[in-house]
Formats: sequence, structure tokens, C-alpha cells
Amino acid sequence: MSLVDATRSVMNSRRLPPLLVFGLLGGILLVYFALPFAVFLGRTGSIPVVETLLETSSTTAVRNSLLTAPAATAVATAFGVPLAYVLARKTFPGKRLIEALVVLPLVVPPVVGGAMLLSVMGRFTPIGAAAARVGVPLTGSLLGVVLAQMFVAAPFVVITARAGFGAVDERLEQASRSLGYGPIATFRHVSLPLASRAIVAGIVLTFARAMGEFGATMMVAYNPRTMPTRIWVDFISGGIDAIVPLALALLAVTLVVVVTVQQFAGVPTVVER
Amino acid sequence: MTLKLDGLSHRYESGRALNDVSLALDDGELVALLGPSGCGKTTVVQAIAGHLNPTAGQVSLRETDVTSAPPENRNVGLVFQQPTLYPHMTVSENVAYGLKSGDLSAEQVSNRVDRYLELVELAGRHDASPESLSGGESRRIELARALAPEPDVLLLDEPLSALDKGLRARLRDETIRIQQETGVTTLFVTHDQEDAMSVADRLVVLRDGEVVAAGPPRELYDSPPTRFVASFLGRSNELSARVESDESSLVTIGGTDIAVDALTDKFTDVPRAAIHVRPSDLTVRSMTRSGKSSSEIESMSDRSGVSADGGAPNERLGTIRMPGTVANVRDMGRRYDVCVEVDSGESVTVERHRGGLHENERVTVTAAVSDLTVFPVSERTSD
Repeated sequence: MSLVDATRSVMNSRRLPPLLVFGLLGGILLVYFALPFAVFLGRTGSIPVVETLLETSSTTAVRNSLLTAPAATAVATAFGVPLAYVLARKTFPGKRLIEALVVLPLVVPPVVGGAMLLSVMGRFTPIGAAAARVGVPLTGSLLGVVLAQMFVAAPFVVITARAGFGAVDERLEQASRSLGYGPIATFRHVSLPLASRAIVAGIVLTFARAMGEFGATMMVAYNPRTMPTRIWVDFISGGIDAIVPLALALLAVTLVVVVTVQQFAGVPTVVER
Repeated sequence: MTLKLDGLSHRYESGRALNDVSLALDDGELVALLGPSGCGKTTVVQAIAGHLNPTAGQVSLRETDVTSAPPENRNVGLVFQQPTLYPHMTVSENVAYGLKSGDLSAEQVSNRVDRYLELVELAGRHDASPESLSGGESRRIELARALAPEPDVLLLDEPLSALDKGLRARLRDETIRIQQETGVTTLFVTHDQEDAMSVADRLVVLRDGEVVAAGPPRELYDSPPTRFVASFLGRSNELSARVESDESSLVTIGGTDIAVDALTDKFTDVPRAAIHVRPSDLTVRSMTRSGKSSSEIESMSDRSGVSADGGAPNERLGTIRMPGTVANVRDMGRRYDVCVEVDSGESVTVERHRGGLHENERVTVTAAVSDLTVFPVSERTSD
């Protein structure tokens, strides 16, 4: 009996479910995801969550996050979706470069990204100084927070929306053009509705990333505090237990928004195709 | 002229797709643009619809040059090979889509939708979602959507290719009926010669981006202008023919000699030619059993006037006989395809309605000279 035959007969005799190995490997990762959540949340019992959250420092952080993250998401969507459409539809020289540029903010560590933003719009750069002079400081302000969040989170909506537009058969758009609609009307009536699932998924990812943004925000606008920067401050002064209330609130707010958007748009978070 | 292409050429980055294509469609005409895949058919469609900017040449619709006009200003209806119904709209919204871009009132739009759904025999399916339609139904809805704005020209780009055979034949008839009822000028693009021949008033054959033939289907089928058309429009056998020497009045086809005069005058200037003959125009008989089952064979050879003994010289009787060996026999259901290797080494396919022949059997293949099409071969080997 050859080695191959021997292996085969062993395999046949056991009749393993075909996805067992994959399931086991994936399961390990799932446990690794779930365990920290469970243990961390297990600490809540001994901590006055509600009281802590009602303190001014907490409410301000929640308010700041809820002002900045949606704003950053909205701006990223307004500029990112058109970019995604161009990338999905056009080939042009240097497209690879543009695509790399879109991914760059994901690759650069957020702290470094923040430092790079500072080098452009810090208080002592021409742009930053000019903006501060007219009363809209780009650092140490809510606007600064928005700019930092946008830099880090916008690639998500671009990449996801691009995949969504790419999945729309170009002939559907051609048919629309031949039925009398110009390029923009075609985009509105055909491309946008058909890519909407992917776009919403991208918006959700961008929002979740913006809500949790810490590294770049810390560099550009340590004040006013958002929930992540507040959590950092609390952690420095009070350790893990001190951050449980705000961490819970951050989790809750993000989850509520994500679930609401999903319900509203009726889509899963992860792009299906 | 409703549609006119003048010297249309296009070059993609990867190479040339169209070279100097000119064609014209009269009002209400149904013309088939036929060619093998990759010959540039879709490029022609895209250029007419305006989804592509040709490198050179002119597209005119109703005597107006539209070469640089965007698709939405052309009034061209388009049906693709793959379904392009909008999945986020109902059937009636799909049909109404092209009407709402114009200046029709809501009532006119809904009347028009009703009319065209009726035309394609799908009245009452207004609220169906495109996903719930069968393949044939969604084809017809697409036809309705393309026709509802009453385009000057309807372009059908391989509309039947994705369908199975029975449905295909039915939709082909349906397409002809709808075209006749609406009278819309139609360019039917296909790689399928059967679709093209059965549908069109006129055929335009495209090959490697060039128009190689144009005319009524039957004319092109019976007297193909080139070897390519002969083999592409229906099945064809090709045999080489050679005049043995300058003085000779005999020409050799498939190992048999025949008088040059019997063929055609085309042949006189060149020593070589390619002979095409349809498989259905050939008959095949067994050499060994010809004696006892002669009655079976006679009916087939009657029209060429061959006597039962077959002893008369070929040329006078207007037939050629080529001895050969059966290479294989394919049972196609309603006929047999008999592949015979004639003694010159070339092989021919013969359509036959009876079985009874076997591999390696010695046979005689007979053709009436009137059924042969002669293409002189010049120095170039291609046509």
C-alpha cells in the first residue's frame, strides 16, 4: 500500500466535517476577540458607571465626540464617494499612485499621521497661523479633531465605495445614458442606488474609526477632549477601572449608531462581494 | 438613411478594432451585423450608441452627424447580451425610466408603459421585480424599455446569445414580430449565422474589424463572395483545386479530374483555387455495397443525372466523384455527419439522412458541379 493510499483510507475512515480545520482556526481568533470584552465588562459591577458618566468631564467628551465624528464622516463621504466613483470607472496614467495615496493614511501610524498634519497646519505653519488669525484654529479645536479623524478614517469609505461602484455593471450606466440621462443623472439614478449597500458599509466603518480615533487626534487636538482622549487621561490618572464608564459609553454610542444606520439602510456592515 | 457609418475606425490601446467600416440602414430596415467573436461588432455598437469615441470616421443618425454627441442626445435604443434591467426598480419603473428623462406627462408615461408591456406580451407584470423574471421575460422587458422612448435606431447586441436553444428560437421570432410592428430601424448584432440569416433583411459580415460582405442573406449564402463568408455562413467544406499544367484543360479536385470549362470562367487566370461545397450538397455512397443497395443511393444522385453504373466520365455529367475513406460518423439526431478523407488527403463532411456507413469503409463522395463555389487563390494565401 502506497503512502497516498494509506493517507486516503485514514481520511475516509474518519469522515471529518470538511470545514473543521478552518472552523477551529477561526474559533481561536474569535475567543481572542471575545475574552477581553467579557473580562473587561466583568469589571463594571464594582464601578459607579452612571455617576462617572454624569460628571462634566465625561459629558463634554461624549458631546465632543458626537459633534466631531459625524462631521468627519460626512466630509469624508462628500469627498470620498466621488473619488471612489472615479477610481472605479476610469483608468488613467498614475492611477496606481492615487490608489496608494488613498491607502497611505491606513498604513501610517495615526500618531505619525497626526505629526504630519501638524507639520502642515500646526500653529506656527503659514496655514495654521493664518487660520488662527481669522479665528478658526486648526489645532487644539473641534475643527482640529475633525481634521485628524478625517485623515485617518476617510480611506474606509473610499475603498469600500469603490468596491461597490466596481460591482455595478458599467452597461447599466450605458443603458441609462442611452435612455436619455446625462452622466450625473445616471450616477444619481443608477450607480448610487446600486452601490448604496457598499457606500453605507463604508460610512459605518469610517464613523466607527472616527469615533475611536486617538493617535492623530492627540497630536492635533489634545484639547478639547473627545472620548478616546478623555479615556487616555483617565487611564493615566486612575488605571483600567477609571476608564470603564467612558469605554462602555464609547462602545454603546458606536454600536447604537452602527446598528441604527444598518437598520435604516438595511445592510450588513461587511461588504458581501 | 436613418443610420449611416462612414469610414469608422477605432483603435484601442491593445490594437486596432475597426478599420474603415461603412454601412447604412434605411428607415425600418432590420440589418444583421454578423461576425465571429472579437471581430469588432461590439465596438460598432458602442460607437453608434456613443459610449465610445471612434478614432476616425463619422456616425450619422437621420442625416445629422452625431459622432461627438453624448449617448443621451442620440435617441438610440440599446439591448445588451447580459440583462441590464435595474434591480432596484420594478418592471414598469424600468420601462418608464427612459420616458421620464423626456418631457412626457405622468399619464403619457404610464400609457406608454402599458402599451409597450402589451407589445412584448407581458402586460400585468408592472410590479414584478426584475429578479423574479425568467430569462426570456427579462429579455422582453429590456426590449420594451429600449423601445418605449421610440428611438430612431434600435441596437441589439447579441440579445439571444445567453439563452438556451428553444427559448432562443422563440425570442428570435418575437424580436422579428416586434420589429415589424414598431417598424423601428434595427441593427441586430450577432455571431450566430442562423440568428442572423433568419432575422435580417440584409446581412453585413464583419471580420477583423472590416466589412467583408454585405447583402441579402440568401444571396450571401448561395454565392458567398469570399472563402471566409462561405465557411462562416453555414457549414462548408474546402477543397483545393489545381490545373496540372498550362496546356491542360483538366483541373484536379480532391483527387479527381474535371474539365475547367465545367467549373467557371473565374478559374482561367489562375492555376489554383479553393472550392467550397456545403455538406448538404454532397452525397456519399459505399463502394463495396453500391451494387446490392443501389436503389437506396439512386434517389440521392438523381438530380445530378448519374446513371446507376456510374461509368460515365465525370465532367460531362456535371458531377465530380471523389473516392475516399470514412474517418468517422457522427449521429446528430436528425442527420448523420459523415467525415470522409478523400484520396487527395483532404477531408470533407457530408450530411446524410441514413446511417449504415462505418469507419474505414471505402466510399465515393459525389457533388454536382453547380453546387461548387470557386475562389481563385492568388499569391496571398488568405482571402
